[in-house]
Parts: sequence; C-alpha cells; structure tokens
Amino acid sequence: MSEGRPQSSNSLVAIDLGSVNTRAQFFDAVEGRYRFIAAGEAATTAGAPTFDTNHGVLQALAQLQEITGRQLLNERGLLLAPDAEGNAGANALTATFSAGPPLRVITVGLLEGVSLHSVNNLVDSFHCEIVDSLSLGDRRSPEQVIDAISQNLPDLVVLAGGTHRGASLSVVRLANYLALALKLLPESARPPILFVGNENLQSEIDTLLAPITKVYKAANIRPSLDQENLGPAEAAMSSLLYEVQAKKLGGLHLLNQLSETRLSHSAQAFGRTVRFLSTVIDAPKGMLGVDLGASTTTVASAFAGELEVRSFPGLGMGRGLTGMLAETQLQQITRWLSYDIPDEFVLDYLYNKPLLPATLPSTPHELAIEMAAARQVVRLAIGKSLPMFPANAIYPLTGTVPWFDRILVAGSTLTRHPRPEHSLLAVLDAVQPVGVVTVILDQNNLASSLGAAAAVDPVLAVQVLESNAFMNLGTVIVPVGSPRPGSTVLRVQLVRDGQKEEVVEIPEGGITVLPLAPGKAADLFVQPLQNMNIGLGAGRGGWIRRMVGGTFGLIFDTRGRPIQMPTSFNKRQELLQTWEHALTGGG
Amino acid sequence: MLAPITYIQPLTTLRRTRQLPVEGLITVSLGDRLRGTDVIARTGLHKQHIMLDAARALGAPASRVSKLIQRVVGEEVEEGAILAGSRGLASRQLRAPAAGKIAAISEGQILLQISDASAQVQARVPGLVIDIDPGQSVTLECICAWVQCLWGNDLVGEGNLHMVADGPQHQLTADQIDMSLRGAILVAGHCSQRQALELAGQVPIRGLILGSLATRLLPVAEKMEYPIAVLEGFGKIPFNGDAFKLLSMHNGAATTLNAQANNPHSGERPEIIIPLTDAGHPPQPVEIQSFRIGQTVRVLSGKYKGQLGEIIELRGNVIYESQLRGPAAELTLAGGGRGRVPLANLELLG
Repeated sequence: MSEGRPQSSNSLVAIDLGSVNTRAQFFDAVEGRYRFIAAGEAATTAGAPTFDTNHGVLQALAQLQEITGRQLLNERGLLLAPDAEGNAGANALTATFSAGPPLRVITVGLLEGVSLHSVNNLVDSFHCEIVDSLSLGDRRSPEQVIDAISQNLPDLVVLAGGTHRGASLSVVRLANYLALALKLLPESARPPILFVGNENLQSEIDTLLAPITKVYKAANIRPSLDQENLGPAEAAMSSLLYEVQAKKLGGLHLLNQLSETRLSHSAQAFGRTVRFLSTVIDAPKGMLGVDLGASTTTVASAFAGELEVRSFPGLGMGRGLTGMLAETQLQQITRWLSYDIPDEFVLDYLYNKPLLPATLPSTPHELAIEMAAARQVVRLAIGKSLPMFPANAIYPLTGTVPWFDRILVAGSTLTRHPRPEHSLLAVLDAVQPVGVVTVILDQNNLASSLGAAAAVDPVLAVQVLESNAFMNLGTVIVPVGSPRPGSTVLRVQLVRDGQKEEVVEIPEGGITVLPLAPGKAADLFVQPLQNMNIGLGAGRGGWIRRMVGGTFGLIFDTRGRPIQMPTSFNKRQELLQTWEHALTGGG
Repeated sequence: MLAPITYIQPLTTLRRTRQLPVEGLITVSLGDRLRGTDVIARTGLHKQHIMLDAARALGAPASRVSKLIQRVVGEEVEEGAILAGSRGLASRQLRAPAAGKIAAISEGQILLQISDASAQVQARVPGLVIDIDPGQSVTLECICAWVQCLWGNDLVGEGNLHMVADGPQHQLTADQIDMSLRGAILVAGHCSQRQALELAGQVPIRGLILGSLATRLLPVAEKMEYPIAVLEGFGKIPFNGDAFKLLSMHNGAATTLNAQANNPHSGERPEIIIPLTDAGHPPQPVEIQSFRIGQTVRVLSGKYKGQLGEIIELRGNVIYESQLRGPAAELTLAGGGRGRVPLANLELLG
C-alpha cells in the first residue's frame, strides 16, 4: 500500500481522446485516498463533420457532469475552477490522445544494425508509421532515394548516425541527400527533421538543413556501438508528435492549453503506467502491458523501471482490423470461436468493422467474433514485440514472451466483456504467458490517463492503481515442457491462514482453478513433475509466497505453448467450453 | 450523442474543397464548369531525377566545387550541356546526361530533373469553380442529387446511370452485362460473382454502384480499372430503399461516380453525384445532428443490419443481446416489426 494522503485533496479530470471514443474521467479524494469516481464517454469528433475534437470532449464532460452531479462546465463550455466547497469544477485537467492518423516518418541512420536500428526502435515506440528508411547500405541509387523521400511526403524525418566522436562524413552525406530531397518539396510540405546522431555534428547539420526546414536536436541515441540512449530523443519525439498532430487535429491545441502537462500520446502514457506499476508493486520479473485500441495496439514492457514501448498503428479492433486481416489466415481467428459461425459471416463482419469502427457487437455471435479477432490482433502485436523484450529476462521456453509478474490489459474490446472469464481466456490465448503471472484488467480504461496524471500527482496514480478500479482476474501458473498427454504435471499445496491444504495434482492439457477469494493471500508450494518448468528452472519447484487471489482465484494453465487447437469444430468447441467452465466452475 | 450521417439527398447544394497534397499549379479558373474527371491541378510529385556528383566528376573538393558549377536552380538544360567545369589545360567538365531542369544543388551535388510526369489532381466532383486558394485548393459547387457510399476503389468515372437492379434484393450476374452497357454507370444490388466484375471491365462500363459486395471479391474490386462504390457494405445486404428509389428516379441521367476511398480523417467518402440543372439553389446538407425520436435511421450492424427504421424511443443504458451495455434506440423497422439497436450501430439518413 502506498503511504500518504492526497497532498491537497486535488480533484482531477482526465481526458483520453481515442480514435473512436473520447473519455472524460473524474478522480477525487474519498476518505483521505484518491479514487476513480466516474467517466463520461462520447464519440471522438476529430473527423467529419466537425473536425474539432473539443465537441467530443465537451460531450464526454457533459455526460460526466450528469453522472457525478458535479458541475464541470459553465455556459461557455469551459471547465470551472473548483469552488470553495470543493463541489464543483476540478483542480487539474490532464489529457492523452491517440486520435489522428499515425505520423509518416522517414528514418535515416548510418548502419542498418546500429543507428538505423536504434532510430527505428525510437520511432516504433510512438504513434508513427515508418514510410521509408535509409542507411549507407541502401541499394537504391541516390536519385531513387531522393525521389522516394520527396514522394513519400513524410510528416517527420529522424536522422541518426555516428557514435560520439565517431563517423561524420557519412552522416553529412546522408544529410545532404535529405537536403536535396527536401528542396524538391514546396516549403509548406517540408517535414521537420529530428537529428539524434553524433552531437559534434549538430552545427554542421544545422548549416546544411536549417535553411531548408526546421531542425530539432536531441542527444545521440547511439553514443557508442553497444550503448543505446533513447531517453532524450523520446522527449523530443513526444513533443514533435504533438506539434505535428496539433496541426492536423482541430481542438488539440486548446486541450493542451487546458492541460496541466503537455498532451501526451496515449501509448506513451500507457507505457508510463506500466513502468510505474513495475516499480511500485515489486515486479522483479517485469511487467507487460497490452492496450488493444480501435486503430492501434500498444505493447509495453518494464523490467526494473526500464520501459520499452511498441505502438502498432495498423493493428486494432476498428480500422486496425485491416492490418490484422492482411497478415492473417481466417482459421487463425475462427479457431477461437465456440459457435459454429459460417466463415463468410465472420469475414463479412471483420471487413465491415473497419468501415464502421464505432459499431458494437450486438449479438453473441458478433461478440464472439470480436473476441476471436482480438486474440489474433494481440497475438500479432506480441509476436512483433518479441525482439524488444530484454535478452537477460527469464525465458522458460524459447520463442515465447519472457516471464512477467503481471500483465495489464487495456482496451475496451477486452475490458468491456460482460463475462470476465472471456477476457481472461482471450488474454491467455493471445499473450500465452509463461511462469507465474497475475492478469490485471483495466476495466475502467484508466491506464493511459493515470500515466498522464502521474506527472501531476504521483500519489493519485498510486492510490488509484491500488484501488479496485482495476480488476485482478487472478494469478496464472503456466508450466512448460514436454509432458505425456493427460499426465500430472504439477503437485501443488496451498497454505491458507497458516493451514496446509490437501495436495492437488494438476493435469496436463487444460485449465485448473484453485479458489482463492479476491484480495485473500496464501502461500503455494509447487512441485513440477516430468521436468516441467514454471520459470524456476526445469523440474524445479518451491514456495510462491503471498499469492493474492483474483476474480478467478489461482489458475493453472497447462495447455502448453504454443496452444494447439484441434481442427475439428466439435472438438474445438468442447475444449473452449471446458476451459471456460474451468474458470466459472460450470459443468 | 452526435449521429453519424449518410446522405441520400434528392436535391442539395454540394460544396467540395479539393486540397492539393502539396502546393501545386492550379489549372482551372474561377467560374469554370468542370466534370468530375477534369484535372484541376498539377503537383511536383512523381518527377524523376538524376543526381550528379560534380565534386567527383571534376576531381575537386566539395568546398571548392560550388564555384565551378555553371548552372542555377530552375535552369533548363539540353542533353550534353555543360553543368560544371574547371578551366585550364587539364580541365574537366560535367555534362548533362539528359535534357532536364536543375532541381537542386547542394554540397557539390546537382539534382537534374529529367521528367515532368507531374501528379494530376482530379476534381472528382462536377460543378462550378467558386473559389481558388492559389497553389493550395479549389472549391467547387454543384446542385445535385447526392448519395454517399461506404466503400470505394478510389477511382472516379462519369457516364449515364443505368439501373440493372430491378429491386433492392437484386443480384448482379455476368449474364446481365452486355455491350449495350458500354460507357454507363450501372446500379446493381449484391454482387458475389467475380465474372460479373471482370466482364463489366471488358465492356467497359464507366462505373458500378453496388448495394453490397461479397467480401471475398474485395481484392478483385480493388483491382478493377473502373470505379466501384458499395453503399451498404460487405456481405449480402439489400440496397437501402431510399437510395434505390432516388437512383431509380434518375435512371439515364449523367452521373459522376466518385469512388474515392473512405477516409475518416479527412471525412471523404465515396459518393454518387447527379448534377441537376434548373433546380434553383437548394440549401447545403445539415452536417451536425443528434439522435431524436421520429428520425429515420439505418442499422449498420447486428441482426437488423441494412434495415431502415424510425426511432420511437431512446434509452440510456440497456443490455444488448450480446450482454454488452450501452445506449440504444427502439425502432419501428421499415420491413415491419420493432427492434432495439445500440445507438452506436445506427446512422441517420440525411
């Protein structure tokens, strides 16, 4: 539990401007601790017909005002300052945004595996689409490169290269290509350049490029061959992302003026929450966050406070379904359906949804299709994120995610499901975690907002994270290895309130649940059989202390990795229902 | 909540501002009357270049070479023309390998533009040019009947409207297409036959308006060289009655099919424009509306998908059949009966 009380009983309104929905969330102190109070939601109005995000913001605030009974708007539509009694207005407003198309970025680095790799890492962690990359190893002719740069009409060019006191001539040569290419564009269409290379070259880069376009600079992202330093460049990128999007999204500038802190992109704010959680709730094995949005999926991991974020603008549950469908066989989606739905119906639904991203699944079949598609979107995003996870993390099985202590899941497709067992199964099927992991559901869609709020009041962020605003679905123990089908793979014993309970044998190939009420703690002794690995080493077991129960207690997922689904629909249906019943205790 | 709107307007004043992707040369004038396929501007995109390294060609250091370059940016040169050269007995010269224009010079390097294949920007909407922002945009106005669609293959075409469909449930098959349809914009119901799309391309027709398209034909439709627009979406969905009636009324009329891709950020959607003359100056469409009782709406998703209905009740927070919760509307459906539909799954017909 975090120490302390709210510093000054500040109330806060957080606005999250999504690509489909805009949310207004209200936080206030209740009995000395910060709580999430309520949220209002409206359609995002970044596009036609208003092209002004503030319409959606005001509607969401009006709904929040109606729910809470607290006056937040005056006749002019502006947020009120708090009154003396603290019954109206709010002390602060923060905002995050993910609306708007991703930034089109050209990345330039000297060597593909070194500076270009780092600059791509930098850009991939933001709401950006890399439309072209250029390095010394580029096989295109200089004129082809120049034509490509000018024809791509990028929003931003990020140039890196040269270690500290390292190469200079080659970096200048690449900068010269950029200069030539940008001169081909009308001044109004020239993108800004962010230079994050050899700092000794900053003035030379300025001389060459500043007469052509705006040049921004940050510390070298690759000061030496084996060292990557993304921090300062990330701050500059964040600022540039806002600058470019503010020109495209009406109303963003005004929202930024109202906000306590510079508007941050939801992916970065989500990442901050993941990092924050990794530090405040002792997650030595690391923390994973997955935010499944309508247009973008964000994957964030934090190990001992070291954050990595990957944003996938082409993967999501609205317009982002197009990206998923482009690299997916239909069977990879339908394998998760427990209804016998014709392929054609599934395809029709998934191809219409990107055209109508705000629509909701109104029938059980449509909801099942969305949950199946969500698994595949997250699975793709996780697969693409594997290279970002640190090599020195614990990998009980190669080719999987490393052992994470916790997974934070956000995104309304997964969090709004009326039956949380479906959300939990979707997360397990999609991420396919290993080791011992607690799954936390961001049921109120707060994760990004708290990332922004933490900059204003860290105590608020901690206390809300510790409150029941998030749903602990349960702790999942996932052994991996090569067991005999149907055999026992684990022997476990729960010690609750100092009382040892009976030893339970956990069979291979399914999901088994040991009840442990939400919030209740117990110790668990786990003995893997057949050389199975729960993350402590093959065949090694031991005590797992102070396991805290969640909605579904303690869950043993012995389905193996990767999870194999039968091709026969009847068998698949039976299996899916068995897993669901295992969680709910149904027969 | 703001309601999404699909416009099916028998008579309206349509105004469109066509923004150029980059600054370019506007090729039309105020007062010009344009067709949808007319070019309104050219931009410098898609030009081809050759890069010439003067420093290397002359064997001079980059710091000195700028003095040896004999051309300036914007200058036209013939093939073989001297671009840079040193004087003296051992003089070297850099000549233009092709005719072109000096596009840029930087650090001893010369960029020679060798083709002027500038990108053309089409009007996409027929009408009168009522405003020009030099180099940036052209605004057109058209008095017309107007129907918005959901999906388009990003092409534009013009021709006379031809109703192939005999009703909203019509299905397009190859045997309905023959040479008499050459140059027409066809209106058909659902299409699930690849052969029909391909045959229409061979005729060729000038455009195809479909009520719905089989999802598996999406890649085929994307590749067709004539514009295709889909009103209702993918899968077997009947043509909505209002749009069908309106298009039927204009059978044979000169029509622009602007099948541009649906772009949520810019608000651009595929659309059918039937210019009307002697129709006065009707108002522009109302753009912002909220859901209200009595409005006609179309169901976008779920079991009533594609159906029209009238809102008889708005409800705040109900449980849908999927067990999700949210605001909903009770409708009397045009096809008979009543239904409860999430508000998120409705759009107004403007």
